[in-house]
Amino acid sequence: MTDAKTCLAGMLEHRLDEEARGWLAQSSAEVAEGVAVARFCALISLASRFMPRGALAPEADERTRAETVLAGWNTERWTVLEAARVALVLARSDLAETAAEEALEEAFRYADGGELCALYRSLALLPDPERFLWRAAEGCRTNIRPVFEADTCDTPYPFLYFDDVAWNQLCIKAVFIDAPLWRVFGLDRRLSPELARMALDLADERRSAGRDVQHELWLCLGPHGGERGLASIERELESESRVGRRAAAIALARADAPGRLAELLETERDPEVLSTMQRARDGHTGRAEFRALDQRSA
Amino acid sequence: MRFFDPHIHMTSRTTADFEAMAAAGIRAVIEPAFWLGQPRTTIGAFVDYFASLVGWERFRASQFGIQHYCAIGLNSKEANNEALAREVLEVLPRFALKEGVVAIGEIGYDEITDAEERAYEAQLQFALEHDMVVMVHSPHRDKKRGILRSLDVARNVGVPMEKLVIDHNNEETVEDTLGRGAWAAFTIYPHTKMGSERMAQVVEKYGPERIIVDSSADWGVSDPLSVPKTAKLMLERGIDPEWVTLTTWQNALDVYAQSGQIDVDALLAEPVIDQSRLFNDNSVLRGQEPRVDETVPN
Repeated sequence: MTDAKTCLAGMLEHRLDEEARGWLAQSSAEVAEGVAVARFCALISLASRFMPRGALAPEADERTRAETVLAGWNTERWTVLEAARVALVLARSDLAETAAEEALEEAFRYADGGELCALYRSLALLPDPERFLWRAAEGCRTNIRPVFEADTCDTPYPFLYFDDVAWNQLCIKAVFIDAPLWRVFGLDRRLSPELARMALDLADERRSAGRDVQHELWLCLGPHGGERGLASIERELESESRVGRRAAAIALARADAPGRLAELLETERDPEVLSTMQRARDGHTGRAEFRALDQRSA
Repeated sequence: MRFFDPHIHMTSRTTADFEAMAAAGIRAVIEPAFWLGQPRTTIGAFVDYFASLVGWERFRASQFGIQHYCAIGLNSKEANNEALAREVLEVLPRFALKEGVVAIGEIGYDEITDAEERAYEAQLQFALEHDMVVMVHSPHRDKKRGILRSLDVARNVGVPMEKLVIDHNNEETVEDTLGRGAWAAFTIYPHTKMGSERMAQVVEKYGPERIIVDSSADWGVSDPLSVPKTAKLMLERGIDPEWVTLTTWQNALDVYAQSGQIDVDALLAEPVIDQSRLFNDNSVLRGQEPRVDETVPN
């Protein structure tokens, strides 16, 4: 996919010093000519010794360009090293062939944590991405949260290719391990009664255990929670947690209960909750609204 | 008091844990085969792991006066790597019928996929053919549905309910598990699965019949003293000491002794520790004086 390649090259260009740029150019050329699998894996590893540390921190126009190449591709939280590693993957001339598939699988198999993140981030950018469906689902089984996030957040891959079982598991697992569900592309378009049921079961389980309900759980309902969903949201609205109440207010709007929201707007005293309710009433109910509730990162 | 922790992954624990467990009165443990956090990629890794459960780990526990039994099985998460799973199921009989293997486990569901179900069914079938007890792991996500499904599938295969232990129950699942006639185990984990306080409430509500307390301590945040700590709390809350004995010792003994692999008389005798014994010329000692003939306070 030349566009993604060009896009990444453009982003890396200004962020590498001469030595790093030289190494990446030379290594990419080596990969493009065709290398043994072990050498390919070694280059993915070696990148850590030549690339600078730190966030890629793309500018707004660079992010837009990536989004144009592939809807849902968000480089906002990539590191420079990840970008360089993905560039090395995309440098292969045989990406459409079985040989590349096998080489990538071997790279996954021998990867450390950082390499896994980069490799998972590359999947949506490859030709025929559904070839890597098993691998992407395997990424969801990890207990290493950064790997889970690289696999599932800021990429259209799960939205485009996961079946319902894998998709629902992804969503509930994100809530369960406190990964940012709001960053899962396409979430609002793949809500379902089954996902809502799983989320409501989890809410019951948390309450039976005397624990708070994770606020992002309310993202999973949409219009599919029914009476049970509304009752569960009402209970959250009475909770002590401000972030929980704000999330529940958005959930109410997402459940298409404007009448109830209007009632609550009359009586709400907490200015932050009130502001969330007003925004929700005005139609700001997408997953991105949960960004403001995310305590992990801005 | 003496305690039986019928679910703990000692391979992830230290000798300091063994000492603390013995001092707290833990006399016997069952170590079910499980997932190691890092997915295995070769059959050899499984073979060595199973071999350690019936070999080195058993010996290591004996050095602290703790009787070590194990359960052999392919865990649900790794059942999703189907090619490898097939190989594991092939070698399973070579370990599952060894002395001291008290059950097939821990098996069951993680994401509730078809691949998991195939591995679960095959292993249930094996257990049925060899009249073995089955230890079922219930999923973190969609737990209630996972438990109902594991009960249904076990029943369809023909596993007698008195030989079925469903683990990691909570307040939302206990009635289904007990109602079907299976044994309901509860994992006491700090912060996630179940606290001692909640466990005590469950015992107060449902009584001691077919209820088992375990620690499932592993490589995560967990507590190898969960069983004695929960027993202490139950006694403090005024729960009948007979009930405490049943849930922290006798029930586990009763269900797993159905395997014929537990010498109950030997277990009831005062353990004799001889740390000067060697396993393949290796000792657990690192220059300390061996402890010989010290009894463990029960």
